Amino acid sequence: MIDIRELRRDFGGIRALAGVDLHVPAGERRAVIGPNGAGKTTLFNVVTGELRATAGSMRLGDAVLGPLTTWQRARLGLVRMYQRNELFDPLSAVDNVLLSIGSIAGAYRPLRSPRRAERAEAATVLERVGLADRRAVAARALSHGERRQLELALALARRPVALLLDEPTAGMSPAETERIATLIAGLDRSLTVLIVEHDMDVVFRLADRITVLHEGRVIAEGTPAEIRGDRQVHDVYLGKAIEA
Amino acid sequence: MTFEDALQQALNGLSFGALLFILAAGLSLIFGMMDVVNLAHGAFYMLGAYVALSVTRATGSFWAALVVAPLALAALGLVVEPLLLRRLRGRHLDQVLITIGLSLVIADFIRLRDDWGWGATVRSLPFPAGLDRSVEIAGSDYPTYRLFVIAFGAGLAVLLYVLHRRTRIGALVRAGVGDAEMLSALGVDTDRLFTLTFAIGAGLAGVAGVVAAPVFGLQPGMDVDALIYSLIVVIVGGLGSLSGAVAGSAVVGPADTFGKVLFPQFALALIFAIMALVLLFRPTGLLGRVRLGR
Amino acid sequence: MTRSWLIRAAIVVAVWSALATFPEWSAAWESSRFAAGIIRQILIFAIFASSLNLLVGFAGLPSLGHAAFFGGGAYAAAIAAQRFGTDELVVSLGAAVVVAALLALVLGFLAVRAVGIFFLMLTLALAQMVFAIAFQATELTGGSNGFSGVHRPVVFGIDFNAANDLYLLVCAVALLVGLVLWRIATSSYGRALVGVRENERRMRALGYDTRTLKLSAFVLAGALAGVAGALSAYEFRFVSPNDVALGTSVAGFVMVLIGGAGTLVGPILGAAVVLSIERVLPSQLPAQMVLGIVFIAFVVFARQGLVGAVRRAVRA
Repeated sequence: MIDIRELRRDFGGIRALAGVDLHVPAGERRAVIGPNGAGKTTLFNVVTGELRATAGSMRLGDAVLGPLTTWQRARLGLVRMYQRNELFDPLSAVDNVLLSIGSIAGAYRPLRSPRRAERAEAATVLERVGLADRRAVAARALSHGERRQLELALALARRPVALLLDEPTAGMSPAETERIATLIAGLDRSLTVLIVEHDMDVVFRLADRITVLHEGRVIAEGTPAEIRGDRQVHDVYLGKAIEA
Repeated sequence: MTFEDALQQALNGLSFGALLFILAAGLSLIFGMMDVVNLAHGAFYMLGAYVALSVTRATGSFWAALVVAPLALAALGLVVEPLLLRRLRGRHLDQVLITIGLSLVIADFIRLRDDWGWGATVRSLPFPAGLDRSVEIAGSDYPTYRLFVIAFGAGLAVLLYVLHRRTRIGALVRAGVGDAEMLSALGVDTDRLFTLTFAIGAGLAGVAGVVAAPVFGLQPGMDVDALIYSLIVVIVGGLGSLSGAVAGSAVVGPADTFGKVLFPQFALALIFAIMALVLLFRPTGLLGRVRLGR
Repeated sequence: MTRSWLIRAAIVVAVWSALATFPEWSAAWESSRFAAGIIRQILIFAIFASSLNLLVGFAGLPSLGHAAFFGGGAYAAAIAAQRFGTDELVVSLGAAVVVAALLALVLGFLAVRAVGIFFLMLTLALAQMVFAIAFQATELTGGSNGFSGVHRPVVFGIDFNAANDLYLLVCAVALLVGLVLWRIATSSYGRALVGVRENERRMRALGYDTRTLKLSAFVLAGALAGVAGALSAYEFRFVSPNDVALGTSVAGFVMVLIGGAGTLVGPILGAAVVLSIERVLPSQLPAQMVLGIVFIAFVVFARQGLVGAVRRAVRA
């Protein structure tokens, strides 16, 4: 489903991505891990089109992503959750989600209000992420954990084909982390999920396979068990994270 | 067009460009430091010209005006910035809106002050003694004042460059243009720096007003014209840097001058086309460092 | 049909009816004609400000060049009536809308490439180009003397020459425009514009072509400004470069902000305030200065405008 070959991204003299190969078959849960600065978020930014690739190719299914803009890729079903929340602050949680759903049918409906079906769908999504009782609250008034939940809701509501999750549990309490992890684990298996995470418990729980990034390159890839035992990965992380 | 005519127009283009530079430099400086497009810049220019009018009438000396007017504008800037802009720190768009209100106030103030010899009638400022004659260039006469403008503009550019690169203040400004927050974290009083920058920008607008007045005269609406031109210069040349102001005025000055002479109906279209091309292919402006959009 | 919707609709109908019949029920008052004239102008500028509000308040595009479409529409209405030799409303108003929309398409195409303050600068500069054209194209527009002798329109033989008839026309158009904007504000399109204002990056990540969205808003707003311009041409029987000047763009912006950007009622209130200051203040007093000071005061103390201030007061 997601096919990335030789992806490079330079910032002046800095090689943020130095030739990344990543192949994620449909329905797989793939975690991307690596120390800070390994290029994980850059990878996401290039795949979604917010940054231009210096070289290499990317495909989503049969579609070549290179010439497409961010919004065109999103329309294909490549949807992203941001590491730092990108919400519509003054709008209520449900209005936030409605914007996401509204994108599916398209924006140019000047004489239509969001249909009942869309509102119902918004309610369902909010229910799934656990924000049902906070639906009328403005996004900026939500707690950090709730904002993260809303961030995920925006991505899910878009009915993605491939979902890119950038540190979904960042800054969450153990209870909130548990809730999000369960939610992700329960996502439909037709959905391909690429997840960047630092929380190793979550990674090992959710991932079918793990790709390890270091200094813009893939240094290891395999099942959680294989990665756990990988010497090079161990060294790169100084042993700390993997042992957890 | 004969060679003599072309030379004349080239000189006109240069002198207009020099003027545009002086005008745009202040705008660019304020934006580069504070992220505020000072839409009162044209009004400051206008005020500078009218202050020069009064000073010249009172003292008989253009040179006195050239000193006093910029100082007066700088003083105004020293008052306005803390009073109006500082409280809106970080709200860049709102600061821009305030400068709009300020420009309305200043322009109307000038329009009403008939008793000061200002008012709505068209006024003129005579050329300073010594620069009120012509010099022969390539067979025809060229006003010495315009040559003075070219020299003055070039000299100012050099002076600003030196101040910018070689002095402590310049270093602070350069740093502030890059990252004012960081500067503040390092203990620099950015509030005072911003006020100073705004005052200098206003002063530069005042200088432009004085220098331009003998050539263009003084009338209502001159503030809008000046603002538009300075915006076009920084859009084309790049906002936020001195070199951008130089590049922009070097392009717009001659283009406007030659355009008006060669095809007066389309002089405007030429400027428009230049702006459009720059926006489409180099949205930062020719030498700009700030991205115009996404 | 919720209850609050019905209440709002009822208020709108009541207010509009009172307004539309104002010349009749105030006929005994000696200033009735003068007041009716002021109301006409307020409504015309309310349309102008409301169209700008679509850009500034909803889409978050701070345009300082909106007069280009107002004046452009005014000139188009006047010139079309003259060139086509007819005063039919369809012709002049239609010309106004088409010309304003096309102008907005051209200017907007360039302008939406910029954001925030740069967008503002760009719209300002581009609109000034239009001003210069209006000023210089003397055979077409009358140049600095303006275009005078504009006829008031005719609809199926009914002419709107009389002040009170024009009054009705203006009221009708204002209501129509108001309803259109009301519908847009609550629609998916309107929500999308708000989304672009609040977080354009996220909108793109969700699959919205934000640049086209912004351009469409620009064109729509321009077209509506053109409508206001045509009405202005009928009202004053005169179009001048002043109608495309920066001063008019600024006035519109001031109206939107003072009234309350992003609200439906705000621009109408703003137009009422600004026009009252400009037309009712004695000519010796500096109207622009007062406006400038009032504007600064609002930006500093009441950024959400009158509507925002009222909402705050109600909540407190």
